[in-house]
Amino acid sequence: MVNFTVEQIREIMDRQENIRNMSVIAHVDHGKSTLTDSLIGKAGIIAESKVGDARYTDTRQDEMERGITIKSTGVSLYYPYDADGSGRENNFLINLIDSPGHVDFSSEVTAALRVTDGALVVVDCVEGVCVQTETVLRQALQEKIKPALMINKVDRNLLELQLDPESMFQGFSRTIEKVNSIIATYDDGTMGDLQVDPTKGNVAFGSGLMGWAFTLKRFAHMYASKFGIDPNKMMKRLWGENYFDAESKKWKKTNLSDTGKPLKRAFNAFVIEPIQRLARNIMEGNMEAVDKMLVHLGVELKTEDRDLREKKLLKKVMMKWINAADCLLEMIVLHLPSPKVAQRYRVDYLYEGPLDDECATAIRNCDPNGPLMIYISKMVPSTDKGRFVAFGRVFSGTVSTGQKVRIMGPNFHPGKKDDLYLKSIQRTVLMMGRTTEHIPDVPCGNTVGLVGVDQFLLKTGTISTHEEAHTLRNMKYSVSPVVRVAVKPKNAADLPKLVDGLKKLSKSDPLVQCSSEETGEHIIAGCGELHVEICLNDLTDFAGIEIIKTDPVVTYKETVQATSNQVCMSKSPNKHNRLYVTAEPFASGLAEDVEKGDIAPNTEPKMRAKLLQDKYGWDSNDAKKIWCFGPETTGANILVDATKGIQYMNEIKDSMEAGFQWATKEGCMSGENMRGIRMNILDAYLHTDAIHRGGGQIVPTARRVYYAAYLTAQPVLQEPMFLVEIQCPTEVIGGVYQCLNSRRGIVNTEEPVSGTPLTMVKCYLPVAESFGFTAHLRSQTSGQAFPQCVFDHWALVSGDPLDPSTKSSEIVNAIRVRKGMEGPIPPLDRFLDKL
Amino acid sequence: MVLYFIGLGLGDEKDITVKGLEAVQKSTYIYLESYTSCLITPKSKLEEFYGKPIIEADRIMVESGCDEMLERAKNNDVSFLVVGDPFCATTHSDLFMRAAKLHIQLIVIHNASIFTAIGYSGLQLYKFGETVSVPFFTERWRPYSFYNKILENKRRGLHTLVLLDIKVKEQSEEDLMRGRLVFQPPRFMTANIACQQILEAEDNTQSGLIQRNDLVIGLLRMGTPQQTIVVKPIEEMANMENLGDPLHSLIIPGELHEIEQEMMQFHSNTIN
Repeated sequence: MVNFTVEQIREIMDRQENIRNMSVIAHVDHGKSTLTDSLIGKAGIIAESKVGDARYTDTRQDEMERGITIKSTGVSLYYPYDADGSGRENNFLINLIDSPGHVDFSSEVTAALRVTDGALVVVDCVEGVCVQTETVLRQALQEKIKPALMINKVDRNLLELQLDPESMFQGFSRTIEKVNSIIATYDDGTMGDLQVDPTKGNVAFGSGLMGWAFTLKRFAHMYASKFGIDPNKMMKRLWGENYFDAESKKWKKTNLSDTGKPLKRAFNAFVIEPIQRLARNIMEGNMEAVDKMLVHLGVELKTEDRDLREKKLLKKVMMKWINAADCLLEMIVLHLPSPKVAQRYRVDYLYEGPLDDECATAIRNCDPNGPLMIYISKMVPSTDKGRFVAFGRVFSGTVSTGQKVRIMGPNFHPGKKDDLYLKSIQRTVLMMGRTTEHIPDVPCGNTVGLVGVDQFLLKTGTISTHEEAHTLRNMKYSVSPVVRVAVKPKNAADLPKLVDGLKKLSKSDPLVQCSSEETGEHIIAGCGELHVEICLNDLTDFAGIEIIKTDPVVTYKETVQATSNQVCMSKSPNKHNRLYVTAEPFASGLAEDVEKGDIAPNTEPKMRAKLLQDKYGWDSNDAKKIWCFGPETTGANILVDATKGIQYMNEIKDSMEAGFQWATKEGCMSGENMRGIRMNILDAYLHTDAIHRGGGQIVPTARRVYYAAYLTAQPVLQEPMFLVEIQCPTEVIGGVYQCLNSRRGIVNTEEPVSGTPLTMVKCYLPVAESFGFTAHLRSQTSGQAFPQCVFDHWALVSGDPLDPSTKSSEIVNAIRVRKGMEGPIPPLDRFLDKL
Repeated sequence: MVLYFIGLGLGDEKDITVKGLEAVQKSTYIYLESYTSCLITPKSKLEEFYGKPIIEADRIMVESGCDEMLERAKNNDVSFLVVGDPFCATTHSDLFMRAAKLHIQLIVIHNASIFTAIGYSGLQLYKFGETVSVPFFTERWRPYSFYNKILENKRRGLHTLVLLDIKVKEQSEEDLMRGRLVFQPPRFMTANIACQQILEAEDNTQSGLIQRNDLVIGLLRMGTPQQTIVVKPIEEMANMENLGDPLHSLIIPGELHEIEQEMMQFHSNTIN
């Protein structure tokens, strides 16, 4: 029973004002998928009676079994709405993406946000703003996505907790305040007013499970005629410090009437109480009162519905009265931006090239006749086994089946040919949750699926028709792949199948990293135990073989604590070149700034220099002479050319950088990445003849001298730490502490969750100690504590790794054995040369 | 005992000096340095001629410490064979100094080198400025500093001897990082490539000191029976694909004396 056709959708695709690209984001279990169902129910793909239990966007076997969303799923909805109140309905196209709420799948959220312009932030009214709500909201704001808020699970307030209206109001206010305080830190004015406010109509209250929701707009319209005031004014009265004095028929700003009687808050009296009354009557089976109210509200029940009782009847009535889909679709249409509006401000953040070139202009104007610009944000396994549909957003131009395009991967640089393919698009498709529909072409402002480009893109990329197009900015993930397992096939002959499976896994998941060690081990790195577990399941599917996995291990980083105790010198193999380098640690905060992308290779150099000077006390000359970041040219280590007046430095720059990438990627203690290290090239003696200082001479020498500098600067390990939020009944808190203590956990805060008998504990837990943590915690609390772990920061592992008696040294040796590296940490004289 | 540094000259096995041959025959171990230049003759021919086995010392061995050779030289006579002259290729001073520190007796036997063979071009050796080498450009690494030296010589009216890159037993950057001893196939720069790179450097520098129709001298396979000298405008030379086997060198003439001009005239006539 699909109530729209591809042709209808294609027609609206040209009307940019009528398109909304939006994602649904929230903390795990706050009810995104259920809410999404009601929207899809409205657009007619699933029967309305199933709203609340179908979870249409959870398409995978494991998603259905676990009842959580793992992959973000896109679906296009067709919605007729009278936006201007002219009585004439306009057709709207809503491209909606449901995203996972579990922190382990945050990268899916990132991918979803990139292709959308607005976000429906869903918050459980009982639990309030949680760690993942905050993470995804921050991500959305960084991507310049406009938020609207849905306060969900209000039915729990009504039925389960039986809160009084004022407590509900206070709970809602707290949530709204918290959301706004996060928004305020990102508000740079370019996107207009971002704050969410019930009186503006961009906050909805409701229950996804029961299929109802409302904004104050709905109630304002209801009461406006009764009070004889303008609906917009009425809306303002229905929130905050507004009270109606029935005696004097006057609106008050305080809760005392002229005669000194206490007054009810308008929101409580006119919004919550009627709902409460209706719910109570239905639940108590007081049908007479119910019927009366229904007439009053203008809700008619069909005869078969009249036999329903309690929750089923409540759901039916509420869905008829204040339907969630109607309310949310209205909010989406009115308060989330169309691509035409959004791309105007998003282009500055998205486009990496000059902001006045042809492509940038076309994106800014959302020009369907401009050069084609598409960002592919993820790969979706297609029904054609082993192949993928590239899912992305058309930012300018129009993409069509058979079109010849330039496919640019993340390593593409304008004017170069790396990571660039010229291919034709086999087919353009519309993503419809579980299925895809063929569509001849898709103009800008819409999401699209492309068939036939999967083998040219690893995970993400830019597709264009313009010869000089730059790429669209790569996505930044809020989580890091810090948990790894090694895998091998049960039957050694299946190795090629495993390798093939790993390739597919790497494509299908935005974050997972698949690599192979020198020992021939294949490694899967994910951001948490659950993520890795899901990846292993997928891998088994992709490879179609039985797989053996090792216990999970964590990623470490190598850093330094002091400036090198000497200027280190290494000679090139031909002895004609000498390099002098020291290492020193970053000031605290700099590594995080680099990882966030605030200080990055592509930051405008003058601004970057100023930031380094002001915030981190760098010398102004050094700050201007940054050669590169590493590893992978973006990591949190910086190479500085601190030489003065040395000839030919520019001709060895490339080799020095290559050596730096190499050294920072594979630190000399454990072969893990370096982090938070600044390498200063202080001096260099170079052969006058370029032949004698080519890459073969300089690259290995540079690497040696960086290692020497590293080893002389008090090297030390860093380990990843999770921020863990545990919500549990107060009486089992002892068990939580016990569990944390045995795992080196450090408790940060412990606060009761207001309005509930629950306590929220926030703590730091080393990722290395997190394996089996969830199960352990549950067994300690008779299954009543639920943790959410999200990577938070890197912490020093105390102890000198060079001293064999320490724990650090033990860790290093274990890694070396695992990676098949020879012997202990190499001695300094392997890297340091004498004159 | 003695470590001989012996020049082999430019051509084939027979270019070794009589003194050098005597030293080789006295030696217990013979090493052949095989990367700063290369002999037209295969190693087997040398072994046949000397009647002794030869150990090839490639770049990795020479640069990463010839410990084995030095160790042997303490108790045996050892010959270290270098194509051309042992001290014209700059890379052997380090080895020489290390041997000296170990108190190994050192004897040097000279031979002809490209530095002397260029005399045949007719340009006077007294009037050459700093010698430069032209490295193979890569996509990202295109150093032009050699060109400034050519210009410097040119401004002073001096000729420039341009040596061309030789890549033997080079590892690719990726193999180097992976620590794999996989070597790229040997490459020898030919005079036309060198001219192309010089012209590119001029396009970037815009000095105006070298014009596209300025004559340059290509020295092809010097010291061998196929030795040839080509005199052509630089642009024409850059387009000559058929210059034949390596090794090539190049001279960018400075101000020319009358006799030099006559010699050049002679060479430009002989080839066509």
